[in-house]
Amino acid sequence: MPLCQLPAGFTGRICRLTGDESFCQRIREMGFGEASLVTKISGTTTSLCLVNGTRLALNHDAARSILVEHLPAGAR
Amino acid sequence: MGHDGRTPVYAMVGNPNCGKTTLFNALTGLRQKVGNYPGVTVEKKIGEAFSQHGRPMKIIDLPGAYSLAARSPDEAVTRDVLLGRRADTPQPDRIICVIDASNLERNLYLVHQILDLGRPVIVALNMMDLAARSGAKIDHAKLEDELGVPVIACEAVNGKGLIELRLAMSRAELPLARHSWDVPAPIAPAVAELQASLVDADGRSPLVARAEALLLLTDFDAVRVAGSTPHSARTATVLNTWQERWQEQGTDWSATLIKSRYDAINHLCRDVIRRPRSAGPSLSDRVDAVLVHSLWGWLCFAVIMVALFFSIFSLAEPPMAWIDEQMAALAAWVQAGMAPGDLRDLLTDGVIGGVGGIVIFLPQILILFFFIGLLESTGYMARAAFLMDRPMSKVGLHGKSFIPLLGSYACAIPGIMATRTIENAKDRLVTILVAPLMSCSARLPVYLLMIATLLPSETVPTTTKVAIMFGMYALGTAGAFGFAWLFKRTLLQSAPAPMILELPPYQPPRLGEILRHMVERGWLFLKNAGTIILGISIVLWFLTTYPKHPDPAATPDVQIAASYAGQAGHLIEPVIKPLGFDWRIGIGLVTSFAAREVFVSSMGVIFGVADAEEDIAPLRDTLRSATWPDGAALFTPLVCVVLMVYYVFAMQCMSTVAVVKRETNSWRWPLFQIAYMTGTAWVVCFIIYQLGRAFGY
Repeated sequence: MPLCQLPAGFTGRICRLTGDESFCQRIREMGFGEASLVTKISGTTTSLCLVNGTRLALNHDAARSILVEHLPAGAR
Repeated sequence: MGHDGRTPVYAMVGNPNCGKTTLFNALTGLRQKVGNYPGVTVEKKIGEAFSQHGRPMKIIDLPGAYSLAARSPDEAVTRDVLLGRRADTPQPDRIICVIDASNLERNLYLVHQILDLGRPVIVALNMMDLAARSGAKIDHAKLEDELGVPVIACEAVNGKGLIELRLAMSRAELPLARHSWDVPAPIAPAVAELQASLVDADGRSPLVARAEALLLLTDFDAVRVAGSTPHSARTATVLNTWQERWQEQGTDWSATLIKSRYDAINHLCRDVIRRPRSAGPSLSDRVDAVLVHSLWGWLCFAVIMVALFFSIFSLAEPPMAWIDEQMAALAAWVQAGMAPGDLRDLLTDGVIGGVGGIVIFLPQILILFFFIGLLESTGYMARAAFLMDRPMSKVGLHGKSFIPLLGSYACAIPGIMATRTIENAKDRLVTILVAPLMSCSARLPVYLLMIATLLPSETVPTTTKVAIMFGMYALGTAGAFGFAWLFKRTLLQSAPAPMILELPPYQPPRLGEILRHMVERGWLFLKNAGTIILGISIVLWFLTTYPKHPDPAATPDVQIAASYAGQAGHLIEPVIKPLGFDWRIGIGLVTSFAAREVFVSSMGVIFGVADAEEDIAPLRDTLRSATWPDGAALFTPLVCVVLMVYYVFAMQCMSTVAVVKRETNSWRWPLFQIAYMTGTAWVVCFIIYQLGRAFGY
């Protein structure tokens, strides 16, 4: 599912980055690459996420282009 | 380095908001602006520090970058200085990599790229206190051992680790990094061919050429900045050939390279950092639960803004009254001590009337900068950008554009420079075009004078004045959003750009830093009053006093109408009369193109000269009693509102025009900006004034 649809308080594993190559490169460089864990803190239109201990804000276009698999609580 | 007697050059690099400028200030004694949000430094800054042996060292503080694959103009400056592409900056001999210890892996990504350059590197492991607070334990000796370069643990804010860093910088020789990582085999031939071309045709050293080859081959959208040296034709051909080949094959070497670097970094960090198994929500998490909440967040934002405007009126009143009294006493003293004549009039009407009229607003300027300093220092700026992302997306921009717009409440010039952090060129240009619509501190004296003229203090509650002021700021902000929407749909169309913005942990406000910034801005305000405004006031006094009317018994109104300023004013009056302005206000509009606050000093001079009485009445009272030739009041409530609206929209700042010209590298955009802003100001004011008149105001 796209990151924008991940419910707040849940953690997902990034499985694929879609969209603009330049943006994909940048978020990979920021440690937001495939297999990284991301926790959604809040937001629907603009998402607030936690990645490797850093709080990142992503707008809807960015969050829509990051596909994650929802991890059950015990699997983190 | 340094052996040939030349001053060694250090470059200070790191991720945005990792404390580079705090460290730079501590080493050089300079006072460059710092703040707790990404993108405070957008241009290189050069300072001088001294080694432990007293030898001078040049330090270049570079804008923050997540990677050498630059995505925005500020990151391109960093990349180009490090790669020796800038003709105006020497290539650094040594590099200080500043790392935010609380986010080690991501910060090491840039270090990893920089180590490829083969230059002597010192790693400053900054913000160790933040890392410790999060429960992380970092073995910096182990990191030094792994990297092979000096790693200094520091807390730049508290001055810890500075001696050790200076000692490392003073070493005659620094070891080269022994980190190694393997470039994926399929990309190796391309790297080798491009590296050879960069060495032979572009004069790069082999190691820099290898690092640059890696960047070029995986950079889809290299941002070019003025001052960067272009590559040779041979290098461009090699690059195009390989990129086209990979594009045909559908191979994404960029992702492979990044993964390869992160694998190396994760391997490196395995024994360097220990994190607690599970940590509860941090203080920043708890505060964010309120400040970025979809309802409470907006309420908090509104409370902050109302508190700002309320303070501007209520807290500033006593010091303003005191300054007013001192100016009146000074004018009275000059009047009592000098014989009547032109020189006395020059001092009372030109100098004291002009400069004194503007100095009175110093307390309010200081309060404005105090609030902005609080927002910048605590980390709230990035939260405001987060909140504003949704409304910004409705006009085609994203939340990152709001940081320059918010900064423009203080002054449009740093706001426009802060647009360098915006990756998309069209979004950046739209932000530059609308930033001057945000009400800057120079508009504050104009609004305050008009509100004081409109509403007598003794009869109107402060809340009414706050509401009017808030309305003007809201009108400017709405104007900026409206024009951004229009430009994004017409002149500068582009698809919505993705945004990723780091929200730094909250920090207690650094009051010393805020007070220092307030004093700097206050001093700048006084300096402008003592130079530009004083000069314009004297020239304006001359233009309103000469030539003398042939009849010595002519009233001041007749005399000023016959002066040079009067003659020029009457020429422009037909253009502004439909807005309710007479030629005297017109002179104020023209002179305040130098800076908006000059309008206030100009009113002080013009109405001081025209005042038949020798009393020293506050300017607001003089304006209230000003009339048209037929005796009708000039500054009616409607005209006061129209004047404020004019200043909300009109482009009245030469310095902003110059900065827009520099940032867009052309005269086209600043001229367009003058035309659209001032044209809008005229049309909106015309509509308000004519409708107001029709309704009997």
